[in-house]
Amino acid sequence: MEEDRLWPQHLDEVVEEFQACFDSMERYELLFEYAKRNPSPLPPEEWDDDNQVHGCQSRAHVTSFVDEQGGFQMRGGADAQIVQGLMSVTAMAVNGMSPEEVADMEPAYAEAMGIQSSLTPSRANGFLNMFKRVREDASKLSG
Amino acid sequence: MTLDIEAIRGDFPILERRLPNGKRLVYFDNAATSQKPQCVIDAMSNYYEHYNSNAHRANHTLADEATTALEGARVRISSYFGTSPDQMIYTSGATEAINLVAYGWARENLSEGDVVVLTEMEHHADIVPWQQMSVDIGIEVRYVPIDVESYTLDMEAFEVALDGASLVCVVHTSNVLGVRNPVEKIIEKSHTAGARVLIDCAQGAPHERIDFDSLGADFVAISAHKMAGPTGIGCILVRRDAMEEMVPFMTGGSMIKRVTTEGSTFQEGHAMFETGTPRIAEAIGWGAAVEWLEQFDMKKVHEHINDIASWTASQMREIPGIRIYGDPGRDDSSGAVSFLHESIQSQDLALLLDEGGFAVRTGHHCAQPLMDALGVPSTNRASFWIYNTMEEAESFVQYLREVVDRFA
Repeated sequence: MEEDRLWPQHLDEVVEEFQACFDSMERYELLFEYAKRNPSPLPPEEWDDDNQVHGCQSRAHVTSFVDEQGGFQMRGGADAQIVQGLMSVTAMAVNGMSPEEVADMEPAYAEAMGIQSSLTPSRANGFLNMFKRVREDASKLSG
Repeated sequence: MTLDIEAIRGDFPILERRLPNGKRLVYFDNAATSQKPQCVIDAMSNYYEHYNSNAHRANHTLADEATTALEGARVRISSYFGTSPDQMIYTSGATEAINLVAYGWARENLSEGDVVVLTEMEHHADIVPWQQMSVDIGIEVRYVPIDVESYTLDMEAFEVALDGASLVCVVHTSNVLGVRNPVEKIIEKSHTAGARVLIDCAQGAPHERIDFDSLGADFVAISAHKMAGPTGIGCILVRRDAMEEMVPFMTGGSMIKRVTTEGSTFQEGHAMFETGTPRIAEAIGWGAAVEWLEQFDMKKVHEHINDIASWTASQMREIPGIRIYGDPGRDDSSGAVSFLHESIQSQDLALLLDEGGFAVRTGHHCAQPLMDALGVPSTNRASFWIYNTMEEAESFVQYLREVVDRFA
């Protein structure tokens, strides 16, 4: 990722789509749609204590690996669509980046999308816990 | 006299609140906690502003005023619950009240193999202490199932479970289903079988006038914060003969008569169970809350809440994908409407409702065995109280329809 960027270029279109939303409800509607577009879902049969993200009000599970090209890949699943949508966007952001880049990344895209300000502190914590888990996984997978 | 809901609402400053998104607050989370009338807020502030002092055993004016207010609240609250002050032990709420029965009565009077009967619809506060007693002293815990068609207790199963029981613990009104259990019959049958009875009235007390002496239970647990009082205070009402069988489970200051290096002697009656600095402001607040509630005919309050809940549930049943748990249409139902949508997950639904200004709760409501019995991990719950209106319910149903149309 280029130095002056806060999120990878390939996420620009997604961020702009959310920025174009009229209000919170439209943002939530879009998150529901993105929930269906998860590029790397983790189905419920693979959910366990190890991959559960704690600190979320709903169930959220994340697992990560490095692909054959050396790119970080996250797989995520949640029972709530809004969380699932956030996972989809996060997966779109991080999948394919180097683990080192993911480990250093901030969730600035969520702020730019208007998502974080829509969430109350306790709900935003759930998203941040998920993002923190992704970064921790990336850190462990870094060379 | 009909309830003047506008005047009632005027007593609650928080009901004028707008949320950060500009929406007017519609508070439908009363089973979690009720809002507080200004008089309760003022009573507590007044204590802190003008006569804050530790109570009991002091000779200065402030301590005397604090003690008078604390004990005056006990008189008022116990009278509200149809009993005398000596049968009321202040606690931090219904949870501590039930734990006091577990650790102060059951641990002293029950032993391995003795039976405690619970129900599947109990709050965790009335399950976990008994499971812990099972681990600690080997009591047997039996659970009366619910009939998942009618959402009521299986009373035939209750009769079976009662055989040989030493203690029966039943929730007066379910915080999930709103169903009011036939506690009078349960108490009668339990006593006939030789068992003592604990009734958890945390949800019942906001909805009907509990008369402890007439009810006949041995122990009744109550929380102030669900009935216009502050958080952090409640009580266990205890029949005198049952209290004589209790030992303190928290010891230290206030509850002693004399402490030496050789040992200690304890106060008698309720004083033996009230350890440390009392929750003075909270007690005063609760006293103000019952004084406020005393102006109302609780039967009319119940009818008002029941009308809103039964109408809301009937309308919600018409919304595609919505399922109601419980039977809010029953005359004795408390106003809790638990529901799920078949495709909009409960957390999502609660968040979307909050966007519309509607405060509902989502989760297992500290009743996971009940969730297991219902076959769901959680529900959404709208719970109404004295200051809610039919207009609020109408706007809720309309908004819920729009959310389902948009997101299902």
